[in-house]
Amino acid sequence: MDVRREIVLPAGVGEVWSSLVEPEQLERWLASSVELEAVPGGRGRFVWDDGSEREAIVEDVEPEVRLALRWADPADPGSETAVTFELEEVDGGTRVTVTEASPEPSACAGEWGLALELRVLLAPAAIV
Amino acid sequence: MSPDAAPVFAALADPTRRRLLELLAEHSERTPTELAAEFRVSRQAVAKHLAALEAAGLVASVRVGRETRYRATPAPLEDAVAWLAEVGARWDERLEALRRHLAGPG
Repeated sequence: MDVRREIVLPAGVGEVWSSLVEPEQLERWLASSVELEAVPGGRGRFVWDDGSEREAIVEDVEPEVRLALRWADPADPGSETAVTFELEEVDGGTRVTVTEASPEPSACAGEWGLALELRVLLAPAAIV
Repeated sequence: MSPDAAPVFAALADPTRRRLLELLAEHSERTPTELAAEFRVSRQAVAKHLAALEAAGLVASVRVGRETRYRATPAPLEDAVAWLAEVGARWDERLEALRRHLAGPG
């Protein structure tokens, strides 16, 4: 099951992409301290003000389209989730869709019926 | 994420298990035989699914005579929903911060 949120930003896709892959920019919105090599197999480290941390491995990079990584609390490897950012040029700017997927070890990953119901329940916010 | 969350999500990934959980939530207790009557799968297949649900803490069983009766125990499901809501709220905040960052000077 996954969590999905999206936002349409009044900015070009190149500008938005930079804010996803440059550590100095990521530190403005995602976490207070960021290290990231935005290449497949690259490593990342995110630390937040509340002391929480994630260590990341980058899985997929399609410039200005998609950034996918897996991250986990280093103190709890069972906490690993997959985070994916997708960018799309739209009227008015760029849509950013972020998905954070809970660990899904089984082959039944195609069945999202309940996830869909829960997404409706949780009312994704699309802010313009 | 709580250490029990991953088995809960894995247990819920299968539609038969989701339907079993729904049926148990709708009725107080059921045996595997009674539940199998609702599906075109064998009682053994239902028993395997119930074992997965029980391992995830989503159902509990009790032996009554020669029967095993199952009931839903939804607390882990509530935890899973709480996780989804918490992570969703976090991403909403971050995306708002991204918007402010992009709207800022320079």
